[in-house]
Amino acid sequence: MSDGGVIASETLLCAQSDVPEGGAVKIELAGRPPLAIFNIKGSFFVTDDTCTHGEASLSEGEIDTDECVVECPWHSGAFELSTGKPCGAPCTIALRIHRFALHDGGIYLLD
Amino acid sequence: MSRIEIVDGADFACAEGDTLLRAGLRAGLGLPYECNAGGCGTCKVELVEGTVDNRWPEAPGLSDRDRRKGRILACQSRPTGDCRLRLRLDPACVPDIRPERRKARLTGIADITRDIREFRFEADGPARFLPGQYAMLSLPDGTERAYSLSNIANEDGAWHFQIRRVPDGRMTGQLFDAAPADVVLDGPYGLAHLRPGTRDVVCIAGGSGLAPMVSIARGIAADPVDARRVHFFHGGRTSADLPGEGWARTLTGLGDRLAYHAAVSGESVPGLAQGFVHEVLAAWMGDRFDNYDYYCAGPPPMIQALETLLVATKGLPAGRVRFDRFF
Repeated sequence: MSDGGVIASETLLCAQSDVPEGGAVKIELAGRPPLAIFNIKGSFFVTDDTCTHGEASLSEGEIDTDECVVECPWHSGAFELSTGKPCGAPCTIALRIHRFALHDGGIYLLD
Repeated sequence: MSRIEIVDGADFACAEGDTLLRAGLRAGLGLPYECNAGGCGTCKVELVEGTVDNRWPEAPGLSDRDRRKGRILACQSRPTGDCRLRLRLDPACVPDIRPERRKARLTGIADITRDIREFRFEADGPARFLPGQYAMLSLPDGTERAYSLSNIANEDGAWHFQIRRVPDGRMTGQLFDAAPADVVLDGPYGLAHLRPGTRDVVCIAGGSGLAPMVSIARGIAADPVDARRVHFFHGGRTSADLPGEGWARTLTGLGDRLAYHAAVSGESVPGLAQGFVHEVLAAWMGDRFDNYDYYCAGPPPMIQALETLLVATKGLPAGRVRFDRFF
């Protein structure tokens, strides 16, 4: 997940402490679709924030920490956070997941 | 008659035997839905109070997680008393034409391909629906399926379907072998209907997806101010699945505003593109994907391949690609 090194293209998303355990935050960066950062029992996941089925914000969805799944707040479609794979109808298109690094208390986007 | 209350929202009446979804749509509410047949999972709601009779407990639209959380499919649930539901209404699902049940009579049958037949019904009053919508067709034995209309709205009460025979299918077995004279139609339903636009239209039909794409092409032809051209991609396993360009041009009324692109996946036919319809589409399109709006109807693998191509890979916004999924 992180080698602690400095990578030229990394972008600070937020502080690790900004994402509560079992929760999510939405991050908007200029020129790209909004991202969602999830904290599942201390492990972080960075995905696109917009559901692949509708225009809903996944950071507002219900998070199942035991299954590591987020449910869309609109139609309760679901995605696996570790892979982006859809795991609940009506979602059929995979959610984009993003590489990131953790260091100095921050979460940095790598792509 | 049951009273159905949406938490923090409207309430509506549900007639005996009706489902939560259809009753809500009949009342003009935007209950989220897509297939009305238990497959897509869009009409999941949380049953907060009350009880329902579940027409299909194993419906694929519901996951074990959904069941654990007390969710039900509104399209498969008949209330057995007053109910309270938690759901988020969607303005995009407010029906333009409220669905109604009506009796209809069979007026004609014609073969389209080796396994698709047109069934024509007539009901009292005008037939009101949007190109690309579907109706629930019920036979006297109670069997009911969703079928897309292949014609367009009319004052004569004509409702036409082009239905593909399903091997050993309970519904199509009856329709093809001994079509009943009297049926019940409930509709219209469906959100994958024709929308206004300025870009030319690409219709992509596979198997039983022919009917709604024919309806959409006819809808464009029938509108005197709609000058769009239609590229009609039609995929089949063999050439016997594809009735051809002349048929499509005449039937839709588009004449030379329609370009017909056949794709056969299961055999090599001189003059016809070989491959799955999404592959033939991609090869023809090159880098021009952004020039068109898209309507797609067909079996799940075809829809999945088109979603991957048009939405995930080419990045077309959801509003420009309409999917009529069959389950």
